[in-house]
Amino acid sequence: MDLIILTQYVLSGLVIGVIYALMAVSITFVHGMMKVVNWSMGEYYMMGGYIQYLLITMLIGPSLWFLGIPIAFAIIFVLGVVIQRYMLHPMFVGESERMDEYATIVTITLMILFRNLAIIFGGPYQYSVPDYFPPTDLGPLPISGNRFMALIGTALILGILYYVMKKTWPGRALLGMSQNRIGIQTAGINVRRLDEIAFGIGVGLAAAAGALLAPVFLVWAESGSVPTMKGFEIVVIGGLGSIPGSIIAALLLGLIESLGSVFISSEYRDLFGFVFLILILIFRPNGLFGDRERLA
Amino acid sequence: MPHLTVENLRVGYIPGIDILQGLSLEVKPGKITGIIGPNGAGKSTLLKAVFGFLVPHEGTMLFNGTPIQGQSPAEIKKQGISYIPQGANNFPFLPVKENLLLGCWTFRKDKARIEQVIEETYELFPALAKKHRQRAGMLSGGEAKMLSIAKELVTSPTLAMVDEPSAGLSPIITDYVYEFLAKKRDEGLTILIVDQNIQKAVEYSEYLYMFEMGMVKMEGDQHVFSDHIREIIRDSLVGEDE
Repeated sequence: MDLIILTQYVLSGLVIGVIYALMAVSITFVHGMMKVVNWSMGEYYMMGGYIQYLLITMLIGPSLWFLGIPIAFAIIFVLGVVIQRYMLHPMFVGESERMDEYATIVTITLMILFRNLAIIFGGPYQYSVPDYFPPTDLGPLPISGNRFMALIGTALILGILYYVMKKTWPGRALLGMSQNRIGIQTAGINVRRLDEIAFGIGVGLAAAAGALLAPVFLVWAESGSVPTMKGFEIVVIGGLGSIPGSIIAALLLGLIESLGSVFISSEYRDLFGFVFLILILIFRPNGLFGDRERLA
Repeated sequence: MPHLTVENLRVGYIPGIDILQGLSLEVKPGKITGIIGPNGAGKSTLLKAVFGFLVPHEGTMLFNGTPIQGQSPAEIKKQGISYIPQGANNFPFLPVKENLLLGCWTFRKDKARIEQVIEETYELFPALAKKHRQRAGMLSGGEAKMLSIAKELVTSPTLAMVDEPSAGLSPIITDYVYEFLAKKRDEGLTILIVDQNIQKAVEYSEYLYMFEMGMVKMEGDQHVFSDHIREIIRDSLVGEDE
């Protein structure tokens, strides 16, 4: 096979991987900080898409699309804080023995609620957001402008996240919380507030992903389900709670899907990821980075 | 005025089951107060209640005369109480220095003070200075314990509550930890210690309480306990009535 074509497939796989990474990081972020799985993650992605659609069509217009991403993040961050404070926080008091089950029930309930609210307000339609950028070239790879912007946007958002976690006091406290909740409290940090910030950032990232990817995948009530599925796949491959693991696993999944569809068959695109997942579960049940690294 | 006064405290982990059943005690300023007693007597529960991890449903706790019951750990820390839990209470994947920085959270905007206390900590514990870039999880048991203690003392508290300072440590390290605490006491820090190691607790405490079944069974000055230490250790090992 032509080397240029191969390079193109590798590149397009990596682009897809980067696009997957944001959602996976948001899932693993919430799990790493709070030790619960948030099953409604895809719905924050979905709402991020709707917010972006409404902003572009009614308020800021298509040329200022990039403003919609921080706005979607901010709105869903606030929603996340409210959900954490009034619906999830009760599971951390009174020595509740069934914390995971409680969180599962609450977050699945929220998933159903948000999907149906989206249908009530938006109808059963799929909305398409105007293109962010004209088609362009990424080295030898001709790429849609939307994917190109998603690539840059994701890299930027992950860069900001890295900076916040490594260089700021709240980030330092969040990292500490993911490793030792008692230690955070003996240091005099308000763990309730920190939980709210952690959940807010986690769901905010999902919303930012939804807004960023609105023109790549369509905006509709169940648009969050595929990213969530891919996200969980990646998180398990990379190791629950490991942010670098999630990013690397996302790139790997993108590559495997892209190369698998070329060399085997594009019909089985989604299958390759699951085969990879099963292999990981057999040979490294904790994921690629699960036992060595948590959140760093 | 005692530094910390606990009166008629009733508190537990599950509603309806009290571990401490109307317990009262006093911690005098500038002294080491020790608490001993068998497993399940409620020693650690008391420390958790004072630090706000557990909310008492009856009784009062006064710190410098101000009630603190019902406050969160963050609020209690701000008033000058530090809690050093059993074992290593570090952030294993963060470097030693980041661990200490997190200990400085309550004065995180005061850069000069942070620099100063970290410098002082490194002087006190040269082993930590040498390994300040290493992850806390890579430290030896003794070093990890030093870090856990140092991390809670960077705030210059007036009362330090130490849960089982000797648990899991070699006798040499245990001696080191107790000597360190005694030195801090001489510098004016009030200390409340809980320990299974009766000998060490009695050796270093000026005043002691013995708990049993969530109540104070015996209290007194150091000599009251040191005079009967053999009986106390025997009773705590075999129980009295069996």
